[in-house]
Amino acid sequence: MKLVNKVKVKNRLGLHTRPATVIVQLLQNCKSSVAFTYKGETINAKSILSILMLAAQKNSTITIDVEGEDADRIMEKLVIAFDNQFGESF
Amino acid sequence: MQTVPEEIVLKGIPICRGVAIGRIFFLKHEEIEINEVTIHPQETQSEVERYRHAMERSIKAIKALKNQLVMESSCDGVMILESQLEILRDPILNEEIERKIQSEHKNAEFILQETLDQIKIKFSSLSNAFFLERYKDLHELSQRILGHLAEEEDIYKPFTLPPHSIICAKELNSIDIAGVNASFIGGFVTENGGSTSHAAIIAKSKGIPFITNINLSLLRAHAHNDFIVDSRIGKVILNPKEKTLKFYQDLKKQMLMQLDDFQEKVKWPTETFDGFPVRLLANLEIPSEVDLVHEFGGQGVGLFRSEYLLFPKNIIPTEEEQYKVYRNLTQNMKGLPIVIRTFDLGGDKLSVRESCPNNESLSFLSRKNCLLLQDENLFKNQLRAILRASFFGEVRILFPMISTFSELKEAKRMLQEVREELNISHLVRVGCMIEVPSAALNIDHFVKECDFLSIGTNDLVQYSLAVDRGNHQPGDFYIHTDPSLIKLIKFITDRANKECIPVTVCGEIACDPRFTPLLLGLGIQELSVAPRYLPVIKNAIRSTSIVEAVELAQKALSMSTAKEVMQLLIEDYQKNVPHDLTYNVGEH
Repeated sequence: MKLVNKVKVKNRLGLHTRPATVIVQLLQNCKSSVAFTYKGETINAKSILSILMLAAQKNSTITIDVEGEDADRIMEKLVIAFDNQFGESF
Repeated sequence: MQTVPEEIVLKGIPICRGVAIGRIFFLKHEEIEINEVTIHPQETQSEVERYRHAMERSIKAIKALKNQLVMESSCDGVMILESQLEILRDPILNEEIERKIQSEHKNAEFILQETLDQIKIKFSSLSNAFFLERYKDLHELSQRILGHLAEEEDIYKPFTLPPHSIICAKELNSIDIAGVNASFIGGFVTENGGSTSHAAIIAKSKGIPFITNINLSLLRAHAHNDFIVDSRIGKVILNPKEKTLKFYQDLKKQMLMQLDDFQEKVKWPTETFDGFPVRLLANLEIPSEVDLVHEFGGQGVGLFRSEYLLFPKNIIPTEEEQYKVYRNLTQNMKGLPIVIRTFDLGGDKLSVRESCPNNESLSFLSRKNCLLLQDENLFKNQLRAILRASFFGEVRILFPMISTFSELKEAKRMLQEVREELNISHLVRVGCMIEVPSAALNIDHFVKECDFLSIGTNDLVQYSLAVDRGNHQPGDFYIHTDPSLIKLIKFITDRANKECIPVTVCGEIACDPRFTPLLLGLGIQELSVAPRYLPVIKNAIRSTSIVEAVELAQKALSMSTAKEVMQLLIEDYQKNVPHDLTYNVGEH
């Protein structure tokens, strides 16, 4: 199964260390492959360094590609995580 | 011809008293040298294994450090360590390095450095300064991995430290300090950092000499020799003469013996030598320090600074999370009383935000409105957590930053509401910090509404003399002996003692044994100090005569300047406890 979705970065500091940590932790046991595309660059979302190097700032839009057996569940989790600012209240 | 380098003395501001002699170690400036070694094609697989092994050990080390910080529940570092763990596990980084070791036939150190350099180039091309900075996290990690590739055994430190090293840094953060093993560290010297910062408080609790406001570039020029830190007087001595070195080596030995001597007396009764009993309690920031309170004979906890629970994430814990901490603490008190102060969001602890489930309606919490009115829910959550813990031992509640009587009434009303809600019928004593002059002047009313009072001298000084607590000035040394402060303490204790309301002093001056006779002479019967200071303060109490202390206080009250009072206290301590080398600082 392959799913594509667009999400917005709401965190004040963008996709910085803390959100990036939450993302890779969330993808730890995920069976699907997950890619983020931002400004024409596509990266493996299981790599924290790659996420940081996107340097996605607040209000930027990220395209999420999930492909694999648990794509459903993973996409839902990611969308919720982006939406609630990765549990970060500032 | 060899010239003997000249002895250089630098003056800084002492944060934690003590003496250290050792080599300079610059934190975050020490680089591990990397050699390029070609590996035989047949051995590349074992080189990959060596790399994996070093990564595993780095991960283990960071996990251990993380657990330690979780236990101490006192650091903003847990989150940083979690992201470091993820970087170490980064699949792209690891695949790339392993592939390169195999294709380029080079040693792991060299490949690691090469790969990180490439990542650094990518990071430095980023326009956003914030992301640019992230390279620093990587750099710190690479030093750790390199350390493990070099087969370093010490899992708590990313670098090898010779014993008694004196750590120098522009500024120390709490991770630097939480991670160090106190027995390896001689002292800390920094350019910046206040005495009330979190790092300073941890250094004090570990008893590590600490001086700030020292220009590091001067140190760097003389880094090859042993140097001396005398944080009793805020001196750093570079290229010490043989005579100076000998003096400090002897001094250090004597200070150690003295510490043992003080610690032996902790089981003796806490009373002046003419039999006036004093209650000696402990201030607590880190819950795990309760053990030290028992070891050093503390009669209870006079102040638990609950705002330190906010540190790991700068988020206020839920009622349930708080309840667990308070309950454990109360149980660990083993029957001794504990005073829990509700959150005090002052000084360097500002900018904490409430964690709201819906992420909406977030508000900055200022020092005052956290406690009262605007944040009734938050305040009541904490009261509920404390009251629930009060079933497990003797818990008392202390309100900080009360400046008017109506605020006290309001806080007590909310407490009463929570009591009724939880159906609590047992006595839970309630007290109030007297740390603003307005509360001190209105003390007649406060004593009627409180079961106990606690004088926070740090803030009382700040608000009476209009000084900035974070901003160190050389004259600060005297500020705590300003006659106005002494008169305020006298005013408060006189009225409280008349109503038989106990008064505790819990500020910095309670930890300084030279102030002990003065405080007792002013009518104070309870002192609350950081656990490490319990032995030295107990010794000071036992060396004081209450009759002489009252005379001393009378004399101090008649003086007109802080300097005169300080001189009086110094001379008096010299007379009462002549053998204390930490506080009797004679010039040599």
